[in-house]
Amino acid sequence: MEQMHTHISRQFSAELEDIRSRVLQMGGLVEQQIEQALDALIKGDTALGENVILHDTQVNKMEVTIDEECNQIIARRQPAASDLRLVVAVIKTITDLERIGDEAEKIARMAVRLAGEERPKNNYAEIQTLGIHVRQMLHETLDAFARLDIEAAVRVAREDVKIDQKYDGAMRQLITYMMEDPRTISRVLNVIWAARALERIGDHACNICEYIIYLVKGKDVRHTSLDQVEREILGKESR
Amino acid sequence: MDLRYLRRRTVNIVNLTGSLLATVFGLFWLFWILWTTLSYGVSAFDWNLFHQNTPAPGAAGGLANAIVGSLIMVGLATVIGTPVGILAGTYLAEYGGRTWVAGTIRFINDILLSAPSIIIGLFVYEMVVIRMGHFSALAGAIALAIIMLPVVIRTTEEMLRLVPNPLREAALALGAPRWKMISLVAYRAALSGILTGVLLAVARIAGETAPLLFTALNNQFWSTDLMQPMANLPVVIFQFAMSPYPEWHTLAWAGSLLITLSVLALSILARTLLRKVRLEH
Amino acid sequence: MANDIHGKIQVRDLNFYYGKYQALKNISLDVATNMVTAFIGPSGCGKSTLLRTFNRMYELYPGQRATGEILLDGENVLAPGADLFRLRARVGMVFQKPTPFPMSIYENIAFGVRLYEKLPRSEMDDRVEWALTQAALWGEVKDKLRQSGMSLSGGQQQRLCIARAIAVKPEVMLLDEPASALDPISTLKIEELIYELKKNYTIVIVTHNMQQAARVSDFTAFMYLGEAVEFGDTNTIFTNPSKKQTEDYITGRYG
Repeated sequence: MEQMHTHISRQFSAELEDIRSRVLQMGGLVEQQIEQALDALIKGDTALGENVILHDTQVNKMEVTIDEECNQIIARRQPAASDLRLVVAVIKTITDLERIGDEAEKIARMAVRLAGEERPKNNYAEIQTLGIHVRQMLHETLDAFARLDIEAAVRVAREDVKIDQKYDGAMRQLITYMMEDPRTISRVLNVIWAARALERIGDHACNICEYIIYLVKGKDVRHTSLDQVEREILGKESR
Repeated sequence: MDLRYLRRRTVNIVNLTGSLLATVFGLFWLFWILWTTLSYGVSAFDWNLFHQNTPAPGAAGGLANAIVGSLIMVGLATVIGTPVGILAGTYLAEYGGRTWVAGTIRFINDILLSAPSIIIGLFVYEMVVIRMGHFSALAGAIALAIIMLPVVIRTTEEMLRLVPNPLREAALALGAPRWKMISLVAYRAALSGILTGVLLAVARIAGETAPLLFTALNNQFWSTDLMQPMANLPVVIFQFAMSPYPEWHTLAWAGSLLITLSVLALSILARTLLRKVRLEH
Repeated sequence: MANDIHGKIQVRDLNFYYGKYQALKNISLDVATNMVTAFIGPSGCGKSTLLRTFNRMYELYPGQRATGEILLDGENVLAPGADLFRLRARVGMVFQKPTPFPMSIYENIAFGVRLYEKLPRSEMDDRVEWALTQAALWGEVKDKLRQSGMSLSGGQQQRLCIARAIAVKPEVMLLDEPASALDPISTLKIEELIYELKKNYTIVIVTHNMQQAARVSDFTAFMYLGEAVEFGDTNTIFTNPSKKQTEDYITGRYG
């Protein structure tokens, strides 16, 4: 990648490197938020849930700081080509990361609300599997961002389909619960909210993968089918 | 439309032919002169020319005393005229600027530049020869120096003006006093230009006859005494060419060729230097 | 604002006249120590004029005069008794067009040093190497110190001029559009050099390229018609200026 070579202005290189590492830092924090929110939900740990809600302001602050830094880079450095794409990709990525943070906060709120209620026999199994999958996906997304690995990005984006399938499965199951025992409706509705949040996180991760492809290849692949992306960007025949 | 283009083309051809003819006309005489000088002069070009003195009528001889005399006087004039001229040119370019003093000097210098050399000869005759009571090489050198002076002043000023102002500012911004800036930076930048000016001035005085007639006169014998009349090429040529003796005529042609060749050499040298100046700016 | 930081140069009520024409009107601003301060503005706004008052370069030309105060470490450099040569030793200047002297690279550097110090040969060698290293030129010229300074490329010539100014060990460097005659790559090299130099020097740069001011400076003054319209830290000036004139100029809506 071009931006990995240093610029004549080393300060400029340092600034770009800085926003990149800040994005990864923010991603790390967001990952931790999801993990703790899910933990809080599954274990019924109110304190942990409160903690996640509290920490969301930190995620928001990071978004604002990185945003400001990007603005200054645009104003003072007039980045071009790959540098410009990096800054644009970063601005978009942090918006999605912030939304992911919001979803984590939402799950944490559900956790706090559900902590007082009776725990289900399956111990939120559907949320657990979905959660593991989503966390894995976000982790790989951030990895792909760190390494600017477009093959990984395409692969991770494909995962989103599986998450949607898992989400649909979980929904069917949760609806069955409600039909079986109407007394669980209010509790299960909260669980549905949490599952919905996880599904949304998957969508955001998928967006970030698209920004990575834009950043590396300069091609906007939003609203393009993944098969087409693979053909055009990776030069592979579709499976 | 076509007619207009035809008209333009005709006018162009007429003008082009006219200016070409004028050039050929001018060059024709120049080449004729050069050819004549060369063909008559070359026959007298031999070793004797350089080591025998001017002969008595009818005898064989050379131009040794005249060559050396010319060299001494031109050399002395250069030694006097160059430093004075360069310093004056420096004043005009670096210090005088647009003040009225500088303006006046510049105006007077321009008059001097176009003054007929015979007037300068007459002036030195009045001021030096009359006072000394006799003709002398020194008076000749002074007359030549005065003729040389305005040329050197003019070129020095012009060449220093060609030195870009930021270069001066850069030297002064380092804290250099003005005289150091001029002597170490401006002179160096204008060096080849100033040298060209000096060379052109030398070429100009090398062939001057009129001022020497009034000052150094001539000397039939070998003399290097500055206080006495001294032989020199232009006056010898003048005298010998006017005489009825064919040997003297030949020597006059040889002298002419010698002067022509040295002026040519100086001009070529000056041109080479000038090209260097142009490349630098 | 710059006022919070110790001001290396403090300009107070500076007025400047070319004959009867007033080119600077009541300028007051502070140039912060070890920072890059940029003056931007349209042609004829007085930014170069302001810069040239800092080392009294204007005195070369008759009819130009300045009133008010320019304090360099608290000392008024415009005072009649101020030592001009000492001032110019403390405040170096680099010009728009590269101005190598018609002498060798080595002599170019040694020229300024010799004005102030008598150094033995070996120390002068060290000083020349040091100055060229500071100007990021040593590697490119170390094998041809005896060659003419004119033989270098434009960008190298400009760095030679910076090295020449550095060699005198000034405290302040005035850069008058130092990159406007250079190609983009040389320009970036000069800008990177400026960034390195500010660790040791206080730098004032005049530029008609406002992007350049945005890239290299910590503080920016926007000048218009002889007045300092807005002065503040570069981030603010280029993302959220407080005056409409500044906004119009940096967004290209001027005139």
